[in-house]
Amino acid sequence: MAEGSSGIPNLDALYRAHAPAVARWAAKLAGPCADVEDLVHEIFLVARRLLPDFRGEAKVTTWLYRITERVALENRRKDRFRRWFSHARRAEIEETISPPHLTPVDELERRQSSETVYRILDRMPDKYRTVIILFELEELSGEEIAALTGLKVATVWVHLHRARERFLAEVRRVSRRST
Amino acid sequence: MKQPTTTDRRKSGERTPVRERWTAQPPGASDEAVAGAMLRSAALVRPFGAKELAEVGARLRSKERFRPRPLALQLAIASSLVLFGGVLSAAVSHVLRAPSQDRRDLPVAPPASKPVRHASLGSSRPASVISPALPAAEPLSEPTRELPATRPVVMRLNRAVAMRERTEAVAPAPSIEPPLAPPPAAGPSSLAQESRILARAIAELRQEGDAEQALAILDQHRAEFGTNGVLTSEANATRIEALLQLGHHVQALALLDAQSFSATGVGREMLVARAELRADRGRRASALHDFDLLLRADPPADFVTERALYGRAVCRGKAGNWEEARKDFEHYLATFPDGKFADKTRAAMNR
Repeated sequence: MAEGSSGIPNLDALYRAHAPAVARWAAKLAGPCADVEDLVHEIFLVARRLLPDFRGEAKVTTWLYRITERVALENRRKDRFRRWFSHARRAEIEETISPPHLTPVDELERRQSSETVYRILDRMPDKYRTVIILFELEELSGEEIAALTGLKVATVWVHLHRARERFLAEVRRVSRRST
Repeated sequence: MKQPTTTDRRKSGERTPVRERWTAQPPGASDEAVAGAMLRSAALVRPFGAKELAEVGARLRSKERFRPRPLALQLAIASSLVLFGGVLSAAVSHVLRAPSQDRRDLPVAPPASKPVRHASLGSSRPASVISPALPAAEPLSEPTRELPATRPVVMRLNRAVAMRERTEAVAPAPSIEPPLAPPPAAGPSSLAQESRILARAIAELRQEGDAEQALAILDQHRAEFGTNGVLTSEANATRIEALLQLGHHVQALALLDAQSFSATGVGREMLVARAELRADRGRRASALHDFDLLLRADPPADFVTERALYGRAVCRGKAGNWEEARKDFEHYLATFPDGKFADKTRAAMNR
């Protein structure tokens, strides 16, 4: 990675190397209502502000992940507030994330299912929500999640186990209600 | 002793071990399989491709900060704009109508330009107040003092109208501007330059077999054109090829993950490479997604399909979905009996 004269990675290089990963994390942590481009912009603005204080004690990916997590969390809070006013934004943004290869019926089912998943995830404590998202949606290994979040590997598995229990309980509740 | 497979465990009602992903499970009626299917649907997100990368990069460089305003504020701004617009248009229409009435009612003015100027200044006074019997100059200077102090906007507009009339009176007719000259022709085309750099990189990679040199040239492309180049996606494809040659699979996968590919043409090769790398990293759900895309609509019997069929069979087998895996293996042997993976396929089927 390109570094400045002080050994601090410069923002351009940071952005080029990590923006795709940051966008993936942000999209999955913030959920389907998020505008990923705005989130990535916000994350790198925060990174630019904090960059002079980055001493390289943590890996750059870990540092960026933590910024992403905070920004995504903040975004979810704002989104919850916004939903009090309007559902328009939600519908408008969901339009833009439909994968092109799905038929309209498939896409509708996928979207509904995705919404249900995030409704369930939003009822969990953040620590469980994050781990299950990184493991199941981002397909990271336990070790990779530990490296990103700063948790111990054993703690990751414990959180994942508890998150799954809660998720299953919610899935059962949802399917009972639908039948 | 034989280790129990996921299917065996499911049959005996056991939970999936915590380290196995639900998203990699075969479809089924169990709660975990349903949860896995739901999570798979949520795992699909729009890739953050070169276009988005360039747009956000440009916003970052411009230091512009986009913050969507809260709805309440948007409504307040919109209503105040409408209100202000209404007041302004009412004032303008009033001002523009009044002087013409005044002028219609005025006695024929002497040829001197001064009284005409004053007439417009006194435009807010009703026409009936200006007596046609009075000499032109005397009453016309009065109304400016009589204007109510609470109407500054109207006063300003009156002055503006008066100014316009004055300037119209003295200004010569506007000359016709010559048409704008066409923009100067660009020097050597950036596209030509870009394609030259890319051609060098491809030559290094495919003819000389020097992937490191190719990457160095691609870095030069990136430094010159960033992510805004016309050939950025081609440069990325070349970079992925070079990274794969050098065995830098993690970096290659990161680049591949950031892009979306169609299951036709050149995109197929990228898609199968991505699927294999994902499967290699244990990301079976997303690997299966790519393999499915490749094998969905009657694909040609080429090397890409061969890799996709074999890869999907292996992924399905690892997920414990042996029935589907066997179907893929059989399909593979029927289509590619002497294929690259034929021996491995037969061995897997005999196991």
